Amino acid sequence: MKVLESSPHRYDKGIRILTLGKIDEIYDRLIEKIGKGDRVLDIGCGTGLLSIRAINKGASVVGIDINPQMLEIAEKRAEQFECQAELELLEMGVAEMDRFEDSSFDKVISSLCFSELPEYELEYTLKQTRRILKEGGLLILGDENKPKNFIKRFLNFVVRFPLVIITYILTQTTTSALSNIDLKLRSSGFEPISVRKNKLENFIEIIAGKSEEYLS
Amino acid sequence: MRKLFDRISYFWITVIETLLRFFPFPAKTGMVKIGSPDSNSPVFLTCNFQLTVRRVKRALKGIDCYLLVANTRGINVWCAATGGHLNNHSVISVIKTSGIEEKVDHKKIILPQLAAPGVESKVIKKKTSWEVLWGPVDIKDIKEFLENNFTKSEQMHKVTFPLTERIEMAIMWAFPLSVFLSLIWIPFFIDELLALWMQVWGISLMTFIFYPIFEPILLLEKRQKKYAFFGWSKLLILIFISSFSLLGTVIYTIILNSFEPWLFARWCIFSLIVSIIIVIDLTGTTPLFKSDTHGDKVFTIKVDAEKCKGTSICLSVCPRNCFEMSEERNLAIFKHEQDCVQCSACIVQCPFDAIQFEDQKGNILTPETVRKFKLNLSGKRTIRGNQS
Repeated sequence: MKVLESSPHRYDKGIRILTLGKIDEIYDRLIEKIGKGDRVLDIGCGTGLLSIRAINKGASVVGIDINPQMLEIAEKRAEQFECQAELELLEMGVAEMDRFEDSSFDKVISSLCFSELPEYELEYTLKQTRRILKEGGLLILGDENKPKNFIKRFLNFVVRFPLVIITYILTQTTTSALSNIDLKLRSSGFEPISVRKNKLENFIEIIAGKSEEYLS
Repeated sequence: MRKLFDRISYFWITVIETLLRFFPFPAKTGMVKIGSPDSNSPVFLTCNFQLTVRRVKRALKGIDCYLLVANTRGINVWCAATGGHLNNHSVISVIKTSGIEEKVDHKKIILPQLAAPGVESKVIKKKTSWEVLWGPVDIKDIKEFLENNFTKSEQMHKVTFPLTERIEMAIMWAFPLSVFLSLIWIPFFIDELLALWMQVWGISLMTFIFYPIFEPILLLEKRQKKYAFFGWSKLLILIFISSFSLLGTVIYTIILNSFEPWLFARWCIFSLIVSIIIVIDLTGTTPLFKSDTHGDKVFTIKVDAEKCKGTSICLSVCPRNCFEMSEERNLAIFKHEQDCVQCSACIVQCPFDAIQFEDQKGNILTPETVRKFKLNLSGKRTIRGNQS
């Protein structure tokens, strides 16, 4: 999503190409754990695709994003699906997450956003996420991943290079990747419950809970 | 030893990033200590374009202060601010998450003046309670700015296009172009490589060195206020440059002593293509005109005298000194329309929304739209966007 902010109207198309059309399956898996009545925070909700899926499972969602143009699309989409009441959209960055109350969310979901954050923001976001999650709450992430294995990293580069070029030409969008997210989660007081990577290890889906022993 | 290393790395960063100026080079973001700052030291903010960070650090040498490097995705301050990458969120984020709030007792942050099209001081104040002070355009003036108690001279406000910067822009075009064209040329005419580089660098350097001659022509067309991507002024400049480059071609054929028609024709076509590429967005490569890719380059600034409370914020952020204060009452007047680059800094910053864009037909583009829609490759800041 690096340059994506420049062309929100083409964002969804770009992501579809980059994930070779798998984004829908990914979204479906990300909302698996979301249940009726859950209060969910979607960090980097963008055009609202994931938020609305969560709403369809009975949750109410607060979606935050720094891009007003993307939020506008999300708003229109919510109207289209008639779920404006369940979706609260806020134009704000992760740095303002301190405005949410302690233990006020059942789930925090985020797709293709954490990889865009600089190191200090990511750390801050994880800290805040831990604070605002209820006891037993879950952090659910889906994002691009930098494979640990060198060969896979190289293969990944070869496979992705043409895709990145095509996507950039068509939509002027591209994405970046997370590295060592499991370690970062652990050091911020989260315990990964399930981790799912694809074969090339370039996409990671993590469900993590608050770990007990962490003292902030 | 460390000093020497610093100098060498500064030199190489300057060389590489000047050659590849077209591309973003992200530097590490966050808080940087300069000298030995204490809780009263000034706090500055800049983008994370590596070359800028290095230059800012150098200019701040000798001042004990904190420098916050905001995440602008490796893009320079002005481009990032108008293109939407240096925005409220990148500033709020670096203030709140870099740890600066624990380091200083005050809440004042000095931003480069050219960040004004993208960062709203009002929003920063509301969300972080930090007060934004607009520093000088050029970091070289920073010491004078501090000595004069945060006031700027007229020259410190103003964006200019001096020879050094013009040469930097020429290199920005010349290097990638000559590399790219060499790749095409090598399989066919490998022995013409030197001529290729000389021609490309010659055309680019000439265009920007002689830019002051072209400026009045561009201004003449600007005065007509008709939108054209490639107007008559650029056509004139193109004719001028390509005929000059024809001279290079003639010299080349004389040196080779070969009057083969295909060779001559090939070099004429080559020179024309290079000239077109460089002239096509000549205005966008200068800081004195808006890029022709943006429809709002013909928009006019309108000050609503009813709403204006005379805060003179527009005067402090305008990079072309277009505004003056009225002598009769406390009111800003948009006086020097010819100098305006439509950067929209004044519109974004006005706390009373008293400044707006107006198109040729008199339609209004509200401050709300200007703040929301940033300018970049696919930026859509049109009157139509306003209504939809």
